[in-house]
Amino acid sequence: MEKEKFIECERKNLQWLINFRLPSYFYKIGMLVIGVSTITMFVRAFAMEGDTQWLKLLLQKTMVVGMLLMSVARDKEEDEMVVKLRMQSYTYAFVAGVMYALVMPFVEYGVSNALKPEGEAFHDIGDFQLLIFILMVQLLCFHTLKRMR
Amino acid sequence: MENTIKVERAILSITQGDLADKIGVSRQTINSIEANRYVPSTVLALKLSEIFGKPVNAFFKLSSND
Repeated sequence: MEKEKFIECERKNLQWLINFRLPSYFYKIGMLVIGVSTITMFVRAFAMEGDTQWLKLLLQKTMVVGMLLMSVARDKEEDEMVVKLRMQSYTYAFVAGVMYALVMPFVEYGVSNALKPEGEAFHDIGDFQLLIFILMVQLLCFHTLKRMR
Repeated sequence: MENTIKVERAILSITQGDLADKIGVSRQTINSIEANRYVPSTVLALKLSEIFGKPVNAFFKLSSND
């Protein structure tokens, strides 16, 4: 009996997690966060002097958070079809992300060494680059699927 | 899966938007169901059945490739 209750509780929590969405206004908040982060990135690159590496790392994080907010925000007309399209977009994004992580280091290495004789050494892509790519593909796929429905 | 929702809707003289409002989905979802691009869940099918006053298999039919 106790075991059954535990399983039921776990199932409910998992279901809550699967159905979790932020209210739709978080989409706009996400866009705002990305906008502010992008502008600040340009300001940091062209108008700020000194060691601003910490700011770059911070802005990378805020960009990922902004895109995550856009990704998990409820659609204005959220129904079962939109939920299905969202799940489909996560699947595409995951597959594209794995392929990107596998192929991109070779592309970067090849391009860098083709352009300069002393090109970059072979290295894997960073977590920021991968996360941004996955979130971008997810949002792009979701909106494309929604438009084509 | 094929369906005759468009016909049932015409019988009741209601638009896609009206039907969407009645069952709590978007108009685009009704459009996708009518065009056989989306197969609705059992819950949605039963809601449609209630609106049309007919059993689900009166307006949803399996096609040859199902």
